[in-house]
Amino acid sequence: MTIEMADLDVRPTLRNGGEPFQEIMEAVGALAPGQGLRLLATFKPVPLFSVLGARGFEHEEREIGGGDWEVLFRPAGKNSDAQSAPSAPGNHAGEWPAPARQLDNRDLDPPEPMVRILAATEEMNHGEVLSALVCREPLFLLPELAKRGHAWRGAFEPDGQGYKILIRIGGADQALEAASGAANAQ
Amino acid sequence: MIGVSLSRWTMSYFAAALGALLLAELMMATGYGFPGADLRAPETLVLVHVVAIGWLSLLMCGALFQFLPVLVNRPLASNNLPLPALICLLAGLAALLVGFMQLGGNLGSSPTALPIAGLLLGTGFCLVLWNLARTLLSAPEHPLPARFVVVGLWCLGATVTLGIVFTLVFGGATSWAPLLALTGVGLPVHVTAGLGGWLTFTAMGVSYRLLAMFMLSPDLERATGKATLYLGTVALVVAVAGGVLVILAAGNLELVLLAALGSGVVALLLYGADVVQLYRARKRRIIELNSRMAALALASLGASVALLVALAIIGRLTDEIGAVVFLVAFGWLSGLGLSQLYKIVAFLTWLECYGPVLGKAPTPRVQDLVVERRAAKWFLLYFAAVWAGTAALLAGHPSLFKAAAAVMLVGTLGVASQLVRTRRLADVKAPSALPQGAQRPRLLYSLSHQS
Repeated sequence: MTIEMADLDVRPTLRNGGEPFQEIMEAVGALAPGQGLRLLATFKPVPLFSVLGARGFEHEEREIGGGDWEVLFRPAGKNSDAQSAPSAPGNHAGEWPAPARQLDNRDLDPPEPMVRILAATEEMNHGEVLSALVCREPLFLLPELAKRGHAWRGAFEPDGQGYKILIRIGGADQALEAASGAANAQ
Repeated sequence: MIGVSLSRWTMSYFAAALGALLLAELMMATGYGFPGADLRAPETLVLVHVVAIGWLSLLMCGALFQFLPVLVNRPLASNNLPLPALICLLAGLAALLVGFMQLGGNLGSSPTALPIAGLLLGTGFCLVLWNLARTLLSAPEHPLPARFVVVGLWCLGATVTLGIVFTLVFGGATSWAPLLALTGVGLPVHVTAGLGGWLTFTAMGVSYRLLAMFMLSPDLERATGKATLYLGTVALVVAVAGGVLVILAAGNLELVLLAALGSGVVALLLYGADVVQLYRARKRRIIELNSRMAALALASLGASVALLVALAIIGRLTDEIGAVVFLVAFGWLSGLGLSQLYKIVAFLTWLECYGPVLGKAPTPRVQDLVVERRAAKWFLLYFAAVWAGTAALLAGHPSLFKAAAAVMLVGTLGVASQLVRTRRLADVKAPSALPQGAQRPRLLYSLSHQS
C-alpha cells in the first residue's frame, strides 16, 4: 500500500548555517493522518530517527550523492495511530508517549495557566509529556518553552472548548536556536 | 508556532505618550487652545496634535508593536525599527508644534518648520507602517481583530498624507491648486481618517481580542463582528477616499460625510452589541480594574455617538463639534488607553521580570504588581472630570472646562504614578520580589530574554 509523502528539503537551511529542527517538527506536525515525510538533508540525520521513532515513524535512508541524504519517514501502524490522536485533525498527539500529567487550565485567570504549566514542566522527567488545556493559544508561553528546551505541539479542540497543548520535556534541545533563528530571519 | 516575545521599545512609546497626555492636560487647564481659542487657531492645532500624535498615536504604535504579533501569531518584523521611528515622530511633533506657533505669529517665521515636520512625521510613520505591514503580510490569515488593524493602518497612511499636504501648503512649499483645495476644506477628512479610522477603528479591533483575553470570554467571530468591520470600512472609504475625490471635484463634502456617518453609526452600534456580549459571556465573574474602567470608556464612546447624532439632528453639529471630539479623544480613546495601559504594563513587566524563573522559584502574581484600590480612585476622578469637561464645553463655560482639565491632569498623574510603581516593582512584597534569575525591569524599555 502506498503512503502519501510530503517533501521537505532542509539542505538550503543547513547550507546557510541554519538549524532545521523546528522546521522539521513543524512539517511533521502538519502531516495528515497516515501521511509520511520525505526529508532531504546534507547529512544522515541520525538524531531524528529516535525523535520521530518515538512518535511512531519508521525510517528508511539512502545517500543520494554529493553527501546528501534522503530519508523516508513512514507512520508505523498508521491507522491505529491516526485514530488514537486525541485532538484536532493534523495534531498527531498519539505519536508522543501518553501524557504523564494532564492539566485543565481553562478556567484560570491569565497568566495563571502559563505559571502552572511551567511549574509542572519543572517537576517532570526528561521525555515525559504534559497535556494542558487552556482557554486560547498560549502565545507568551511558547518562547519560554523554547528557552527551556521543551518541544510542543497544539491545536484548538474540535468542540471549540479551548486549546490543547502537549509539551515534551527536553524534547527540543535544539529548538531554541531554531526558534530564535526563525524569529530573526523574519 | 513560535509565540510572541517582548517588544523592546513599547515601554518607551508608552512613556513618551503619557508625557504628551500630561502636557496636553496642562495646556487645557491653563486655557491654551480650544475653547479659549478658535477651533482652527494655531494654539488649538498645537493642543490637538500633542493629543493625537504625542499621546494617542504613540500609545497605539507602542501597543501594536506588542499586540499585533499576538493577533496574527507572528513575530514583529523588526524589534529595532521602533526606536528610530520614535525619534522621528518626537522630532517631527516638536517641529510641527513650532510650525503651528509660527503660523500664530508667536515665533519667527523663517525658516518655516512645517515642511520639516511633514518630512520627519512622514518618515516616522512610514517606519511604523512598514514594520507593522510586514508583520501582517507574514501571517497566512488574519483573524477579525487584525483586519480592523489593516483598515486602521490604511487610515493612518491617509491621515499622514493629508497632514503632509497641509504642512507643504501652510509652509509655502507648494501652491498647486488641488493641494490648496485639499488644505482649504480637507480638515474634516483628516480628522475623520485620524480619529475615526486610525485611532478608533484600530482600538475597536484590538479591543475585541484584549477584552476577550482579560475577561476569559470566547473570541467573537460572529456575524455582527464582520458586519462592524465591513460597515465601518465602507464608512471610512466613503469619508476618506470619497471625501478627497469630492474635494478635488469641487463637490459637496458635507453630503459625503453624512453618508459615511450613517454607515459608521450602524457599525458602532453593532460594535456596542458585540462588546456587551463579550462582557456577558465572560467566564471571569469578578473582573479586574482595567476591564471595569474600559466599560467607562466604552460608555463614553456610546455617549459620543449619541451626542453626535443628536447634534446632527438639531443642526448644531458644526457649533459643538469641539465637545464631541473632546469626548471621543478623552472619554473613549484616552479612557480605553489608560485603562488598558494599567493592565498591559503590569503584565509585560511581570513577564519580563519573572518569565525566566516561573516554576523554578516562587514568584508574585501579576496582580501583586498593582494595587487596584489605589488606582481606582484616580481613574474615577479622570472619567468624572472628562464628563464634566464635556458638559462645560456644551454649556459654554470655559472656566469650568479649565477646572475639569486640571482634575483630569491630577487623575492622569495618579494613574501614571501607579504605572511607574508597577514598573519599579514598588508594590511587590519583599520576599519574592526578585528571586534568583529574575531581572529588575528598566523603566523605559524591555529586555528581551531571547538568546
